[in-house]
Amino acid sequence: MSDCQSLGDCDDSRIERIYEYLDGAVPKADIVEIKKHLDECPDCREQHDLECVIRTVVKRSCKEAAPENLKNSILDRIHSTRSA
Amino acid sequence: MSTVDPAAKADKVDESVPDVSAESEDERRDRFERDAMQYVDQLYSAAMRMARNPSDAEDLVQEAYTKAFSAFHQYKPGTNLKAWLYRILTNTYINLYRKRQREPLQSQSDQIEDWQLARAGSHTSSGLRSAETEALDHLPDSDVKSALQAIPEEFRLAVYFADVEGFAYKEISEIMDTPIGTVMSRLHRGRKMLRDMLADYAHERGFTGGNYQESKQ
Repeated sequence: MSDCQSLGDCDDSRIERIYEYLDGAVPKADIVEIKKHLDECPDCREQHDLECVIRTVVKRSCKEAAPENLKNSILDRIHSTRSA
Repeated sequence: MSTVDPAAKADKVDESVPDVSAESEDERRDRFERDAMQYVDQLYSAAMRMARNPSDAEDLVQEAYTKAFSAFHQYKPGTNLKAWLYRILTNTYINLYRKRQREPLQSQSDQIEDWQLARAGSHTSSGLRSAETEALDHLPDSDVKSALQAIPEEFRLAVYFADVEGFAYKEISEIMDTPIGTVMSRLHRGRKMLRDMLADYAHERGFTGGNYQESKQ
């Protein structure tokens, strides 16, 4: 999809580099470099932005409220259980 | 997981660390209620991604909390309580539900290896373009959940722990009891699969981006 090899020599390694960057898992020195690259390369930025949207959407969709009685049943159980 | 250095964000608990050994039964219960009960909604959401239906998810969370309370004397105050609870939830799930289904946690990844991973590798990264970013944003929650659900369990949970809960690799490795390298490869592969699934849903919903047909050929 792109000839850009700054973040990896194939699409797979490039996207993994972006994952790790977003995970806060790259060394400090690399952050500046990746940031600069994302500013300059529309293809990589597109992948970066897309990943951000995916994470936002997943986070939003997975938010559930526990049924109201659940908290009470847990408390009931705890009060009839001895903490070893 | 937006912070820059995972090592630097090691959880610091501001309240004074209680002397657990001198604690009475009631004091421990109070501390559990005060510190652990705030995560019920979050653990329930995670349980829904494990157990797949509300009633099983409820049982799972209840069982996990009961275990957590029984083992609360082993929890080291000042360490990450949420991660500790997630670890118990995950263990409870594996012991309770996987056993019931009689499928070991590992076997699924071998089965998907061929078709799903090959498929993910073939057009994942180009399956979604920014033209579809907006479409993605409008996907109903049910589609997103189904997409996540379609990913084999160990990949799904890794992605969930990282992207929804924001746990660092090291925390996920402790929660899932797997080496960090395994966590990273599960995350990478799981995210690519998720992308692929989401692309399919976006296309099914008729949100076709200009580049899709072209990139598929």
